[in-house]
Amino acid sequence: MKKKHLFKFFSLLVVLGLLLSACSSNSSGGKKDGKKSTTSTEKAKEDIGQFPKEVKNDNKVVEDGTLNYGLVYDTPFEGTLNYAFYQGDEDAKVLQFFDIPLFTINEDYEMTNDGPATYELSKDHKTITVKIKDNVNWSDGKPVTAEDYEYSFLVIGNKDYTGVRYGDALMQSIVGMKEYHAGKAKRISGIKIIDDKTLSITFEKANPALLTGLWSYAMPKHYLGDVPIKDLAKSDKIHKKPIGFGPFKIKKIVPGESVEFERNDDFYAGKPKLKSIVLKVVNPKVILQAMKKGEVDVAEFPTDQYAAAKGSKNFQFIGKIDLAYNYIGFKLGHWDAKKGENVMDNPKFQDKRLRQAMAYALDNKTVGEKLYHGLRFPATSLIPPSFPSWYDENANGATYDPEKAKKLLDEAGYKDVDKDGLREDPKGKKFKINFLSMSGGDIAEPLAKFYIQCWKDVGLDVQLVDGRLAEFNSFYKMVQEDNPKVDVFAAAWGTGTDVDPYGLYGRDANFNYSRFVSEKNDQLLADGHSEQAFDHNYRKKVYDEWQAYMNDEMPVIPTLFRSIIYSVNNRVTGLNADHEIDALGWFNVGVTSETPEVN
Amino acid sequence: MLKFILRRILVMIPQLFILSILIFLLAKAMPGDALTGQLASNPKMDAQTLHELKQKLGMYDPYYVQYARWIKGLLHGNLGMSIIHQTPVTSLIAGKMWNTVLLGAAVLILSYLIAIPLGIIGGRWTDTWADKMIVGYNYLTYATPLFIFALLMLFIFGFVLGWFPTSGSVDIRVENGTFAYYMSKLNHLILPALSGAIVSTTVTIQYLRNEIIDTKIKDFVKTARAKGVSESKVYTRHIFRNSLLPIAAFLGYDIVSLIGGSVFLESIYGYPGIGQLFLTSIMQRDFSVVTALVMISGLATLIGTLLSDIILSAVDPRIRIE
Repeated sequence: MKKKHLFKFFSLLVVLGLLLSACSSNSSGGKKDGKKSTTSTEKAKEDIGQFPKEVKNDNKVVEDGTLNYGLVYDTPFEGTLNYAFYQGDEDAKVLQFFDIPLFTINEDYEMTNDGPATYELSKDHKTITVKIKDNVNWSDGKPVTAEDYEYSFLVIGNKDYTGVRYGDALMQSIVGMKEYHAGKAKRISGIKIIDDKTLSITFEKANPALLTGLWSYAMPKHYLGDVPIKDLAKSDKIHKKPIGFGPFKIKKIVPGESVEFERNDDFYAGKPKLKSIVLKVVNPKVILQAMKKGEVDVAEFPTDQYAAAKGSKNFQFIGKIDLAYNYIGFKLGHWDAKKGENVMDNPKFQDKRLRQAMAYALDNKTVGEKLYHGLRFPATSLIPPSFPSWYDENANGATYDPEKAKKLLDEAGYKDVDKDGLREDPKGKKFKINFLSMSGGDIAEPLAKFYIQCWKDVGLDVQLVDGRLAEFNSFYKMVQEDNPKVDVFAAAWGTGTDVDPYGLYGRDANFNYSRFVSEKNDQLLADGHSEQAFDHNYRKKVYDEWQAYMNDEMPVIPTLFRSIIYSVNNRVTGLNADHEIDALGWFNVGVTSETPEVN
Repeated sequence: MLKFILRRILVMIPQLFILSILIFLLAKAMPGDALTGQLASNPKMDAQTLHELKQKLGMYDPYYVQYARWIKGLLHGNLGMSIIHQTPVTSLIAGKMWNTVLLGAAVLILSYLIAIPLGIIGGRWTDTWADKMIVGYNYLTYATPLFIFALLMLFIFGFVLGWFPTSGSVDIRVENGTFAYYMSKLNHLILPALSGAIVSTTVTIQYLRNEIIDTKIKDFVKTARAKGVSESKVYTRHIFRNSLLPIAAFLGYDIVSLIGGSVFLESIYGYPGIGQLFLTSIMQRDFSVVTALVMISGLATLIGTLLSDIILSAVDPRIRIE
């Protein structure tokens, strides 16, 4: 009898196995169908402007609610929970709840006086005086002091510091920073503590980047001060028991998978609406299901799954234009490491008409609509629209115009001499272009192929370097070392909140991968962060001119602007798309029902 | 026996040494370094500072100097610092290793629990419909990729039926060390372990079934039957024991796979373990983590083979190792 039972059980298992595999073939079939249907409805083009920046929910907030935050990531997060040391985006997403910047920001990411600290600029714009509000306290009850703020500069500038924040030009231009960094001084002479809550920072020269790029995070000196700076990065006080002065504090961490936050009752701006937040790592492949099930209330949503998620009833999307752009760069020279500057000496693409033609040949509108469901759209400038004051709405990017491309190529002397359908260079020799593109994601391959086809349509013979997409590390190695195999390359930049493009296009900027240099470029970039540029109108004029200049010279082709979207359960209120960088981003967030809405 | 084990352990030392050189050179031969990826999206870094940072991290030292530094640390039990995570590799791995071993052990135990009875049924009642079903199941699970199967299991039992939690290894809201905590751990373990187990039974079932079919007609079985031993005893005492030999031999290797971790299971179920860390570290060129993990699994493989030999000699009296 017993045996029979066992037997039954196993045959059941087998049947179950059959059933499951039957399901699996079904579901993959369903997926295919799904894809097809989205292609047909794609005409309803998504416009990032349609995404509300703020979540919509008029119901009454529940007292002491709990919210589930999904950290969409396919790897266990490590948790280097300090702004001076963290390197991965996922850590920043954990930090946002319990540690916040000292300043709030406006829509151009400039500091404002509505946050934990206020500031005042001196007349010559070289000195900033920061006053931390009286009731701003660390979550262990100790006040946040001027010394804590100074301490974070002392850590970053220290010769034993192993993080990546010292590279910032603004950081290095603090008076006395270089001496301190070299170990010649005990303190940074430009940073003066005026009283417990006030300090002033003096810079070598006035730079408007100060308002967007000033390091604005304090570090708890009373808590971390006894750890030598060289051991700070690996200290448990940063990995396991960090403290901050944000609206929430860490209650518990399960390494690699989840963090529980509880309300910081002592928060300077008042009592946060939520009682607790549970953050959980969720694989990108299952985030849509988790949203539908109500297991996750808020998550940064992977844009490639947007088409499938559209129309879900229990959650909504908020979004904004990302501080980033994709581009295609021409290798115009090399980096002279000795002199520390870019040299423009590669003759192949010196004719700007050729560069322009290659830009006009690209149909980025189709790329954005077909491959990215409208969540990416043609870029028109090297300053993304996420800087509303600086982005030039009238910037004349190269919109798709193959006829114009052909005309430009004809003018420049690139003509099809031997009638094989492909153009030869002005001397009549075969003209081959090597295109370096990065692998990763499902779209990389079709995108690269599409661009190559676009160029072929105007008669240019473009091929992938080594005949294939390059893996991430090899890609950057080749680009950074100006490998002669590479003529053009497709890459992307995250700009950060500082609009100043100097670090990416300056003469002595290593990241100026196209190696484009010119007197006019130097001049415009210098003007853009001169003292005079504290005047908004003047700076706007300079950057408008720079955008137009770069669009004409076209050392890099801006290809796509991108959007960033968050999926938010209908029960959430008070959340906006800037919550990750806004000091008060989570303070006002609440839920209007004890349980999440389920689809 | 003891002499044999000692000798094998002594041989391991040069083996590990050669392995360490190979791993180190291969790791360094990969293009890029741990800073490449970090800087790609962080334009706020001037060339001078980058240079300084690389110098500080010893990236410009000649290979043999870097190797000597690494091996010296290794001998002291120090696996180096992870550049990406800014934390010692030892503590980075330690936390995840337990999860990986737990998940691996659960997969292993479950897969034996499924495979051994199925193998026995298939071997004993060959060509019955039950056997055919088992062979069918075998083909199906062998052909099913783990990452699809795991997603499907998660979808059905996690999301649609809601029987199991959908991510993580434990519910953060339960108190550490309480009964509820261990139940929560178990609850989080079942689904990933079952997904892993169901698709990894093929080899065991196939070996066991074939082995039983072979042994069934051997002379000593006929002798046993002729002596009048009951059919069930023939199977349990004589055939089963002999048929388990190849599986016992595999056990050592299986234990190695415990610490390797499964990238797919860990990633889909958000289960923080070694497998995913290893993969990401390779992509990010976090060399100290990569080399440490390869060294550990190398060591485990050597121990695993040794273990296999020992197990084999213990269960099979015909094999005696000198």
